[in-house]
Amino acid sequence: MSSQNRTIQEALSAIERSQRLKRISWLLGLAVVVALTYGGLQVLNFSLEMLARQQDNFFAAIADFVPPNFVELSLYSKTNEVEGLGGVLQTLTHPGTFAETFTTEAGRNGTILGLSFITIVIGFTGTVLGFPLALVFGILGSERVVPFPFNFVFRGTMSTIRAIPALVWILIYIPLAGITPLSAMLAVATDTIGNLGRLFTDELEEIDEGPIEAISSTGADRPQIISFGMLSQVSTSFVAWTLYILEINTRIAISLGVYGAGGIGQYIDTRIALGAYDRGAAGIAMVIFIVLTVELLSSRIRARLRPGEHEGKGFVDSLRDLGNPKKWLGVGDTTKDSKN
Amino acid sequence: MPAVSLENVTKVYGEETVALDDISVHIPEGEFVVVLGPSGAGKSTLLRVLNGLTAPTEGEVRIGKDPVGGANSAVGMVFQMHYLIESMSAYRNALTGALGRTGYVRSLFSAYATEDKTAALEALDTVGLLSEAQQRAGSMSGGQKQRVGIARALVQNPDLLLADEPVASLDPKAASDVMGYMKSAAKERELTTIASLHQVNLAREFGDRFIGVRDGSVVFDGDRDALTMDAVDDIYYGDGGDEPPEALAENFEDESDEEEIPQ
Repeated sequence: MSSQNRTIQEALSAIERSQRLKRISWLLGLAVVVALTYGGLQVLNFSLEMLARQQDNFFAAIADFVPPNFVELSLYSKTNEVEGLGGVLQTLTHPGTFAETFTTEAGRNGTILGLSFITIVIGFTGTVLGFPLALVFGILGSERVVPFPFNFVFRGTMSTIRAIPALVWILIYIPLAGITPLSAMLAVATDTIGNLGRLFTDELEEIDEGPIEAISSTGADRPQIISFGMLSQVSTSFVAWTLYILEINTRIAISLGVYGAGGIGQYIDTRIALGAYDRGAAGIAMVIFIVLTVELLSSRIRARLRPGEHEGKGFVDSLRDLGNPKKWLGVGDTTKDSKN
Repeated sequence: MPAVSLENVTKVYGEETVALDDISVHIPEGEFVVVLGPSGAGKSTLLRVLNGLTAPTEGEVRIGKDPVGGANSAVGMVFQMHYLIESMSAYRNALTGALGRTGYVRSLFSAYATEDKTAALEALDTVGLLSEAQQRAGSMSGGQKQRVGIARALVQNPDLLLADEPVASLDPKAASDVMGYMKSAAKERELTTIASLHQVNLAREFGDRFIGVRDGSVVFDGDRDALTMDAVDDIYYGDGGDEPPEALAENFEDESDEEEIPQ
């Protein structure tokens, strides 16, 4: 009995020793991070005193942004010079002029809605055009499909593409199309190959061996084994990843606009440069609206793709769910709601 | 001419792991053979050598006249974990059995030959799932999935049907159902079948012939009458080995209590 107690005592002290060691190394790590951050702030000439001195200027400038002025929201508000939030109201109550805002050159280049349309088109077409190459590179980059080390040719290509940000890709495409919405789209498409392809490759590394074995035992040839045994396992997650990249690409399209490549980003940039902060604020409000809408749409579709959640639910039911705010926000017992 | 023959087949993994040790077995056409044996005895390796997913180290495996040389459509395989494509319907899963005779582009666009489409529906009918043909495989029960797995193997129009622990992950009722469908499919199509099983009672109910494997060697080969309780003990524990655990003995007695084994 006493010998057993001793061993328990020994085990206890061994555990406590290792826990103490773990705690000390955590504290050491934390101290290192704090020291490095402090050093970094010195490099950046950070001083609270300077920020305090500038704060009045800063808040005065921020105040210029409110209230946002939506006079350039649509062709209607622009031609009738409806200032402030009235621009939104008047635009919504005159939907007849929507088409003109999106189809005419004046609408697409001079209104918030038209320019937002350009931005969304850049993000969307860039994603769609980048997708096939992302698919090819992503599949060929997987060790399951192309044996090591040859798959690294494709992995390396994707890594290189990824290492160059879209903001630099558009500079590379200047000789091709200048800094325009077109070159912005090309930059987004290139970026998509690297980012989406990498996600595809990672996804393929996680598939089960079973269905591959099952398909090969039917006497299927190599391309059939890849398509049915491997890709069929990941098809829905490929779609989900593509939607996720679409969200990111929409944001990239906005920042490329600030760079001068057109769209809502450029609107914000020029209005702020001209000192029309209230109009710039309207553009920023629009950006928030676009990004949140794309995110919400894409996350709803991705949730639907997740197996199990919407088992056997018909298309009509899913459409009805689109009108359920709880579903959108992902709260509440949604199954109960739809039954009531 | 036996439908299946293994001639002095040995399989060694790595340097010295002997999975199969000089096995010779001949199986006539249309026989329903059950392979019994403890875990790690070599049952799975035996089946994998037969369907060409694993090449034997020594010896020869023949199906009909042809030596087995790699995975091919002449052998249909039913796996323990069904291995269906869960995002596809039962029908399209069954159709993947026809991949071996369908070109890549045609298969990609589901443009299978009409007789293959008919074959898929016939196979689903054989396993009692014709009305569930359009259901997504992922939403089916374990037993139904396994029956789709059988249908897929039947669509291959194989000379030999292999089943590796086909009911090990099913509840007893579903296990018995699945074995029943497999047996009747084999009978209907006069299909030579080799299934490895853990459950001795299921084996006795559905098998025509039993092959006991232990430590890579065949230690039993006989019909239902020969498969006595002592013979089963011998397969699992060896001569004069450990006493069988209660569970196995009970399992066996339950079966013999019923005395309804069709002869």
